[in-house]
Amino acid sequence: MQTLWSAWMQYLPLLLRGTAMTVELTAAALVVGVLFGFLLALGRLSRVPALDTLATGYVEVVRAIPVLIILFITYYGFAELGLVLSGITAAVVSLGGFYATQYGEIFRGAILGIDRGQTEAATALGLTSAQTMRRVVLPQAFFTILPPATNQLSNLIKDTSLVFTISVADLMYQANSALSVNFLPMDMLLEAGVIYFIFYLIIAKVLGRWEVSVQRRRN
Amino acid sequence: MSNDVVIRADRLSKRFGTLTVFEDVSIEVKKREVVAIIGPSGAGKSTFIRCINYLHTFNQGTLEILGHTIVGGHNHPSKDVLQDIRTRVGMVFQTFNLFPHLNVIENITLAPVEVKKVPRAQANARAMELLEMVGLPHKAEMYPKRLSGGEQQRVAICRALAMEPEVMLFDEPTSMLDPELVGEVLAAIRRLAKEGMTMVLVTHEMQFAKEVADTVVIMADHGVVEKGPAREVLESPRTERAQSFLHRVLNPEEVPDPLEQEVLPIGGRR
Repeated sequence: MQTLWSAWMQYLPLLLRGTAMTVELTAAALVVGVLFGFLLALGRLSRVPALDTLATGYVEVVRAIPVLIILFITYYGFAELGLVLSGITAAVVSLGGFYATQYGEIFRGAILGIDRGQTEAATALGLTSAQTMRRVVLPQAFFTILPPATNQLSNLIKDTSLVFTISVADLMYQANSALSVNFLPMDMLLEAGVIYFIFYLIIAKVLGRWEVSVQRRRN
Repeated sequence: MSNDVVIRADRLSKRFGTLTVFEDVSIEVKKREVVAIIGPSGAGKSTFIRCINYLHTFNQGTLEILGHTIVGGHNHPSKDVLQDIRTRVGMVFQTFNLFPHLNVIENITLAPVEVKKVPRAQANARAMELLEMVGLPHKAEMYPKRLSGGEQQRVAICRALAMEPEVMLFDEPTSMLDPELVGEVLAAIRRLAKEGMTMVLVTHEMQFAKEVADTVVIMADHGVVEKGPAREVLESPRTERAQSFLHRVLNPEEVPDPLEQEVLPIGGRR
């Protein structure tokens, strides 16, 4: 018992250093995924056929490919073509690019779910389509978006662990390097798992509070 | 267009593919005039009134409104033209369409603040005046969900009026309301008519149309079957189609039961 805890404590600083990288990757990929995803949703809802086709094609293809393949293509494949990206950049681009398809579909569904009378009323009042989106459609889509978006965020957090395969020093990478030195795979992997779980728990709690507070304000 | 005419629709036609919604509809609305459009369901009344502020496009004909001319077909009017029309024409919908995430006063001030850049304090003060006018100042902080249908529709009228429109369009404003709530909404519209607001009103309230409208247009079978001074059209319609429509509306108990008239085939109705 004593030895177990001492191993957990001994490697905690290393794993926490990896955790910092995991948090940063998650945040960066989330920003890319949400922004790009919103553009994809607008593209798919666009009345311009070329934009719709382009966005639909991207979503259908990218979401069907394993994240690991996308990551390797971005890191190794692009390098072969002369576009050399750092591990971190490749990680953010590939995770963000993949999760954009997930967030794009969540946004699209939520926007389509808003009653047409709402946009008609806003249009009749003279609001531009951008103002209608910002002030009328998106605030109402919020409740439809938040639960599945939280869900996808938990997937994103877990998928960041794939970056250890291209030697980005995240939590998984540090756990793996620790266990190859101390030969305690069960302890190191469990410890990393607990940290992933705590990270997710904090985010889920914060988002849940946010949802409740907005809901309360409206009732 | 003489200065007096605010809206002139000249032979407007609207089709969805091969389905004709309405054809060759022409109306003229003068300043301070109240025009009521009545007629059976499916006649294209709602679609037509939505063409006036271009919520719907139309395929043929010419619409002159507030100094702009829109020709039906492929050329959409520019964004500036549409914006100008929509900020000067208010619209009230059958289903109210209040914004559920905004409270009453935010619903009313959204467009003035966003579109016309009216200072917030001034917009709020104007919204309160409008709420006083429809008897709802105490509901200013409430969310639409908490209001009755009649209250929601009165707020929707305030929301449209907050843009200080020159014309108001009403698309069946009372047909979603419980009967006991119809009166309060009609009262608000009646007051606007008295104040000289130019209005186009699609309605099923015949008595109200006779009372407030200057002109009545009867639409049926995808076109205008009769139009003229309200009392004349409603009391002594000339065309047979208008006569049969009004007779049915005014004497619903006389409409025969189709089951008693038709010989039914074995196995049920029709």
